[in-house]
Amino acid sequence: MKKLYTIMAVILAAAFILSACGGSPAPAKDLLSEVKARGTLVISTDPAYPPQSELKANPARTPGTKCTSDQKTLGELEGFDIDTAAAIAKGLGVEPCWVTPDWTLITAGNWAGRWDISVGSMTITPERAKALYFGQPYYTTPAAAFVYKTNTTYKTPADLSGKKIGVCGGCTYESFLNGSLVVPGVTINFTIKNATAKTYDTDSTALADLELGDGVRLDAVITAQPTGQAEINNGKPIKQLGDPLYIEYLGPAFDRNSMLDPHSLIAAVSQIIAGLHKDGTLSKLCMQWEGSDLAAAAATFDASQFGK
Amino acid sequence: MTTENFTGAPPLVDPHQSMGEGLVALQKRNRFIQGIKVTAVWAGLIALVTGGMLMLRISPAYMLAHYNVILQGAGTTLYVSLVSIASATMLALLGSISRLSSNPIAQGIAGFYVSLVRGTPLLIQIYLIYLGLPQIGEQITQLGFPAIGKIFILDAVPAGILALSLNYGAYMTEIFRAGLQSIGYGQREAAIALGMTPLQVMRRIILPQAIRIIIPDVGNQFIAMQKDSALVSVMGVWEITYIANRYARRDSKYMEMFLVAAAAYWILTILSSWLQGWLEKRMAQAYER
Repeated sequence: MKKLYTIMAVILAAAFILSACGGSPAPAKDLLSEVKARGTLVISTDPAYPPQSELKANPARTPGTKCTSDQKTLGELEGFDIDTAAAIAKGLGVEPCWVTPDWTLITAGNWAGRWDISVGSMTITPERAKALYFGQPYYTTPAAAFVYKTNTTYKTPADLSGKKIGVCGGCTYESFLNGSLVVPGVTINFTIKNATAKTYDTDSTALADLELGDGVRLDAVITAQPTGQAEINNGKPIKQLGDPLYIEYLGPAFDRNSMLDPHSLIAAVSQIIAGLHKDGTLSKLCMQWEGSDLAAAAATFDASQFGK
Repeated sequence: MTTENFTGAPPLVDPHQSMGEGLVALQKRNRFIQGIKVTAVWAGLIALVTGGMLMLRISPAYMLAHYNVILQGAGTTLYVSLVSIASATMLALLGSISRLSSNPIAQGIAGFYVSLVRGTPLLIQIYLIYLGLPQIGEQITQLGFPAIGKIFILDAVPAGILALSLNYGAYMTEIFRAGLQSIGYGQREAAIALGMTPLQVMRRIILPQAIRIIIPDVGNQFIAMQKDSALVSVMGVWEITYIANRYARRDSKYMEMFLVAAAAYWILTILSSWLQGWLEKRMAQAYER
């Protein structure tokens, strides 16, 4: 027994000394050169949001990929966010790899270098900008209210005042309902007053509750117009109520507390996105996935204040 | 039941042997009938559940086509749970011995650990470990120890295993403590009187007996852990729940995927219960009459 303790103590001590002295070569000081040296751009996404990000019908790992085994490859995911991220990686001359952490973990910042960038349809908001940097937005999303198909009592979004409305918790839709939403460069008209916001982990759970029937659990859901439209296209019994409530700008996000300086990467990505706007790639991808060109309006947005 | 006597007289026959045999046979038959009755109740309940499922708007074809993706997730679930239960057991053993020791430092550390970890929700622990540890690592890196700092930046799976191990280790510390305390004090005194060191007393006298009492509860914890491991999906680990959820959203097949996932968890826990039963039987061998 004593011998065992001695051996264990020696091993522990050796491990400690080795780990402490293990001469690490001077690490790259900026994120862009790290990404280029690695040959992969690690992107966070959540494949729960068709048509932005979802699993492929027949997922197959990209052959010869440089992504690690816990990362997903272009062969496994698809959607507008996925294609945009792949185009950004192509512009950088590296392979795109995806990780799928919870949304809260992405918006919290402090990524600890686990991923380099979020290309996940994230709305640029002043609150998020406290933890994250944003690059040039790559498209916009109109937020809209959806109600049960057979409902006839609601004519405009304003009729939903005082009703029970489902939204994803921590999303801009929740801030819209309690009147605290600020979208840079947009004047918001808070048409729905005193509604009860019922929060969900994601929009799809809220929509599923609305689809149970008019007023069964919810009177309406506020979500991205394309998300609701996709449900309708899937034959779900809901309809859009009136015009979109407001427009959001969605851009790539970077960790403010990154150990490696992200500014060179932000600049490079913003430049690539500007190029993708200019040559029409983003408009084309948007038509393909979302069914309408939501990208064009994002080209003129000045995001420079969010990258500093 | 014959016994040889030493005088060479004809073997003694137990006059009540036939009665005893009859009693054993009766018990056996009763057990058999009871088994059939219980099976019938199970069959009835399964029919009821199936009937309920038939009333759901589900597509069995979709479930059949997608059970294999859930199986992939089952591998991850099983791996995470197995590694976690193993390290939680080690933690619990250390924790319970510390709790029962007379050393104030060991007792203090173990008591604090159990109180802190049992008093906070697992999901929050997962968030804290995944988000918080790297920040500590960063500070250590800035102090000039990058190699140590790097250890704190855990990937999703190791972070999940750490959180589950710590969490279950705390609950199991109490299970182990109860098991160790259930062994009569007289045995410890006798062993000390024979000149055994405290370590020998623990290893040779207390633990082998306590394990028998602890095993059923550890099995219980393992079953609970397989389902709690779903929480690591928040870090993007592709285990059963995560995969079920993502496929459900892609194809708007919520009930289908959740039913398949539920079945996968159920089968996993049935297998674990068998394993637990087998272990219990083995451990009880010495006590059987």
